[in-house]
Amino acid sequence: MSDTPSNTITLTIDGREVSVPKGTTLLKAAKQVGKDVPHYCYHDGLSSPAQCRLCLVEVEGAPKPMPACVTQAMDGQVVSTESEAALDMREGVLEFYLVNHPLDCPICDMSGECNLQDYVHAEGRDHGRSREPKRIFGRDDFGGDVLYYGDRCVMCTRCVRFMREVEQDGRLTVVERGNRSVIDTFFDRGLEGTQFSGNVVDLCPVGALVSKDFLYKARAWDLDHTPSICPSCSQGCNIELHTRDNLVQRLKPRENLEVNAFWMCDHGRLNYEWINHGDRLEAPLVREGDTVRAMGWKEALTALLQRLGDAAEKGVKVVASPLAPNEDLAALKALVEDLGGGEIVFRMPRAEDEIVLKGFPTMARRRDLAPNGRGAELLGMRRVGEDDGTGGLEGVSGHDGVVIVLGDALADQGPDFAAGSALLVYLGTHSGPAAAAADFVLPVTTFAEQEGTFTNHEGRVQRFWPALSAPGAARPAWLVLGALFAERTQSDSIRKADDAFARLVATHGAFAGLTYDDIGTRGALVSDTVPLSGD
Amino acid sequence: MSDVPFKNPGWAGNTGEYDLTEDQVRGDEFVGTRPIEGGHPSGSASYPYMLPDKDPEAPLFEGPYKDRFEKILTRYPNKQAALLPTLGLAQEVRGHVSPHTMDGVAELLGLSPAYVRGVATFYTMYNKRPVGRFLIQVCTNISCNLCGADDVMGAFLRYTDTELGETSEDGYFTVVEAECLAACGFPTCVQINSRYYENVTPADVPKIVEHLKAEGAGGD
Amino acid sequence: MAYPYVSDREVRVLSKYFGDPMQRRVDTYVERGGYQALKKAFEMGQDAVIDEVKASGLRGRGGAGFPAGLKWSFMPKQPTKPHYLLCNADESEPGTFKDRELLRWDPHQVIEGVLIASYAIRAKQAYIYCRGEFFETTQILAKALEDAYEKGYVGKDIMGSGNDIDITVHVGGGAYICGEETGLMNSLEGRRGQPRVKPPFPAAVGAFGMPSTVNNVETLSAVPHIVTHGGQWYRQWGTEKSPGTKLFCVSGHVNKPGNYELPLGFPLMDLINDVCGGMKDGKALKAVIPGGSSVPILDAQECADCNLDYEGVQTAGSMLGCASVIVMDEDTDIVKQVRRMVQFYAHESCGQCTPCREGSAWMLQILKRIEEGRGTEEDLQTMLDMSRQMTGTTICVLSDSVGAPVVSSINKFKDEYLALIRRGERVGVA
Ligand SMILES: Cc1cc2nc3c(=O)[nH]c(=O)nc-3n(C[C@H](O)[C@H](O)[C@H](O)COP(=O)(O)O)c2cc1C
Ligand code: SF4
Ligand code: SF4
Ligand code: SF4
Ligand code: FES
Ligand code: FES
Repeated sequence: MSDTPSNTITLTIDGREVSVPKGTTLLKAAKQVGKDVPHYCYHDGLSSPAQCRLCLVEVEGAPKPMPACVTQAMDGQVVSTESEAALDMREGVLEFYLVNHPLDCPICDMSGECNLQDYVHAEGRDHGRSREPKRIFGRDDFGGDVLYYGDRCVMCTRCVRFMREVEQDGRLTVVERGNRSVIDTFFDRGLEGTQFSGNVVDLCPVGALVSKDFLYKARAWDLDHTPSICPSCSQGCNIELHTRDNLVQRLKPRENLEVNAFWMCDHGRLNYEWINHGDRLEAPLVREGDTVRAMGWKEALTALLQRLGDAAEKGVKVVASPLAPNEDLAALKALVEDLGGGEIVFRMPRAEDEIVLKGFPTMARRRDLAPNGRGAELLGMRRVGEDDGTGGLEGVSGHDGVVIVLGDALADQGPDFAAGSALLVYLGTHSGPAAAAADFVLPVTTFAEQEGTFTNHEGRVQRFWPALSAPGAARPAWLVLGALFAERTQSDSIRKADDAFARLVATHGAFAGLTYDDIGTRGALVSDTVPLSGD
Repeated sequence: MSDVPFKNPGWAGNTGEYDLTEDQVRGDEFVGTRPIEGGHPSGSASYPYMLPDKDPEAPLFEGPYKDRFEKILTRYPNKQAALLPTLGLAQEVRGHVSPHTMDGVAELLGLSPAYVRGVATFYTMYNKRPVGRFLIQVCTNISCNLCGADDVMGAFLRYTDTELGETSEDGYFTVVEAECLAACGFPTCVQINSRYYENVTPADVPKIVEHLKAEGAGGD
Repeated sequence: MAYPYVSDREVRVLSKYFGDPMQRRVDTYVERGGYQALKKAFEMGQDAVIDEVKASGLRGRGGAGFPAGLKWSFMPKQPTKPHYLLCNADESEPGTFKDRELLRWDPHQVIEGVLIASYAIRAKQAYIYCRGEFFETTQILAKALEDAYEKGYVGKDIMGSGNDIDITVHVGGGAYICGEETGLMNSLEGRRGQPRVKPPFPAAVGAFGMPSTVNNVETLSAVPHIVTHGGQWYRQWGTEKSPGTKLFCVSGHVNKPGNYELPLGFPLMDLINDVCGGMKDGKALKAVIPGGSSVPILDAQECADCNLDYEGVQTAGSMLGCASVIVMDEDTDIVKQVRRMVQFYAHESCGQCTPCREGSAWMLQILKRIEEGRGTEEDLQTMLDMSRQMTGTTICVLSDSVGAPVVSSINKFKDEYLALIRRGERVGVA
């Protein structure tokens, strides 16, 4: 074990004793006593050049102030992060930053979540002394989604190191030297074609690198942050949804060293507009002859229950979606089994290649471009169709019993889909061919509007939380399906997502032992870790 | 070498009696196989010249330059370490290190072009744009400055009829300010292409400029 | 011969053949006893060589004055990886011009020193990192190296001893900071020449990630003499803590500027008045920078009884650095010269560390403004604060060097600043 006494050292930071494993840096040790020493160049996911000199602290007996980010804690050391000397040095560094900083906070996208603002506010001089004209670099389009405002840059080189060390495509560099240094690409050969460069925007501690997609879109302090899981592939990167006005404004990666470290890919990052898409199903719709009538949930479900039993006698065939959380899929499975059982298939687009993040190869934009294909398979659902996510539904379409479609809008299918079925039920978010053909259209929520879990490619079950309020009468599918099941079986209906999850755990061995609590924000592996078939 | 019509460049001429020729001081007799001819395997291949005649489109590399490049590679444990000498070699044939050149060097050494740009711009000796046949670098740092370097600089600008950093209309001269050239005891020190001219006073400048003009294509 | 910088008070050990072009020829060098020290070193064995250099008390001549033998002893004794010796010939500190002279007048002396040091630290490859501007000098060095290779003094099985040592001359691209030892290593590896954070120290992780030692040209040039004659012999000159001879680079307002090899501890005023023939045009002395532009300025009074050894100069309030004595007479505009030095550092800062990158450029802006008569008295305090915040806070000491001339000049020549500032105020009012 790493915690044997000889591997632990004890030191004093700001008058408080703290024990840390050998090799811990002063920056991390200070964090343990609740002091976040200002730092720019240091980042957990990158090498440490110790060049910004912002994290200087005083170490008793050392002739010079020491950079906390690379100085290893020693037994018996007495460290002060707040002594007069330490504060003086850091105040100096902060004043130096401001000599040429444009302080254009009113039009800076970083404003409100900017380390420079925070640090200067906390530890800077109350007025700057520079009266000199400022150096001007201007703005540069780096290609991809990235814009560079050179004047705001604090030269921490995080972005350069990310491209070199993590994406391992050295497209960024420091050009020139001294105070003429500036970050740049190779002339007009920018970041186009890179797959992870969006991360440099997150890494940038100031507003020097900003996202074109997010430019001037929202002020940081107006955004709500909700922990979530990226829905764009089976990697299951941990992310945050940043929302305002009930719309997703941007996605940001959330740290999880087991899955995505601090990163996410550009494909996932920019693939969120569909969540905001206006064309939503907002009320249950029931076909009555040639007309379609919107009605309340109670009325709709009652009507559906009346027809469901009889129609199911000719069998049930189901199309599910790998975008649906485990809870929805489990509720679907339970209902189908209660109706006498039937095959559940799903379709999932598959990319040609994996795009591996070279510096953190645990992470890749996986070939399966949906978050929960693994969950569906663990529930016994079968993948069908082509790599572009179409086809494979001939059997379902020709079925004459009950056809249930969950979450798959059937964009590739014609108006005669399952025309011969006794009953076509569609639980979905958006209108489309499936909604047009269905006898019952039941509006459900997107992952962003509900609580739930996805199971990623390696069998890690990860939670996400509701970030948006659902439109109209849309409800989580597990709630709708659970209500139908409860009515049919005369059992208690499920009211909470974790109950839905508990029911999944109770009925599916692979998930045995998992609870929302122990999944937490980090995820937990299912016990069955057979690789995804067909991969 | 040339008979330079002014007092002993490269030599503190006004400080005592001496009887050496310019060549003896410069060591021209003691220069080995010119790298331009391929150089010795010990690595002289990697010392570039600054040539007055340059071809911005010259290939990277062929003939003796290819040999020199390959020799450079043998002197280091990895390819990246050959970057500085290779940039020097590229500048020797092309006169300056253009984006196109950086790209070419990056490819030769298996480095990213942006990386090469970062390195090339760190150093002052790689000209990022074309310069005149004669790059005149006047040291104005403290020791030279104490002895009138600013006036020497002024004289060069006047007699070459250029602005600081600009190239004269005839394409002959680019005058730039240099930092200490490690010849502080022989002020003012001026480096013109590969050569040091020392103890330069404003009065020497017109002679030097005339001399360079006359030298023309005759080498550096 | 005809080297003009001679004085009968000199002790010419390293500079004995300055001015003698024949010394560049390998045959002449050997006739005069060259490469015998190398042979002796091979016979002594590595540890004995290190001990002898330790005994001599030879201190690094590149600026920091770190004992050379001690530095060598940090290298692993049982090499498990390649070792490198790096000879620092990036000489660019304003006021310093000794390494170029050593390289161009006595290149074999440098090569022999490099070979002995390489042998002592168990390196099979040495690099001589020459600043790129030294075109002429590297040509001479290259020829000497070729000759030495041909005669079997460098390369495989040197003089039949079974020792292999290769030497490569590497030319820089124009950057003062590559003289800093870790900047040099980065530059050698084909990177931006930015200094590295220490630890790890070069003896553990140096060039190409391998154990390395960096020594100045002059340090290495002294080594053959020490090996030949012994450490005690070297101690006949200099002081207890600063033994031996040193090349003093004198520039500025003296009658005979130049390189003079003198015992350490030599009185500064004797150097100026006697060795260098006194102040130019008989002017009075105003100030001296005794160790290159990175060290504090001494005023005339402090110079009066300053002895030129590491401790003596420290006592006087400055540092010996690389013994580059810049002499300024009564007419010198101190503010202008300080501005010129700061301009140099602002130009040469590698730009990694915030205090150095931003501070040096800002300092330059302030000094220019003062020079133009638009300064204020608060500027002086600002510059003192900045200097404090730039000293000891960065990866290398270039940042400290910006503060040295600024602080010392404000302390010692404040009235010159005030005169400019007040004249400025008058101009502003009128
Ligand atoms: C900014 C800076 C510039 C330096 N420039 C040189 C130089 O040009 N030549 C040199 O020998 N040492 C230079 N040094 C000192 C080297 O870092 C190193 O201490 C020296 O080369 C070690 O050799 P020595 O022990 O033989 O003196 C410089 C140091 C600093 C901080
Ligand atoms: S652009 Fe941002 S991340 Fe990159 S160096 Fe500048 S401040 Fe750092
Ligand atoms: S790798 Fe996959 S999960 Fe991660 S950000 Fe990209 S698309 Fe999203
Ligand atoms: S102190 Fe200056 S020169 Fe030295 S590493 Fe830092 S920025 Fe570079
Ligand atoms: S965070 Fe420690 S020096 Fe930058
Ligand atoms: S100051 Fe001009 S060469 Fe050193």
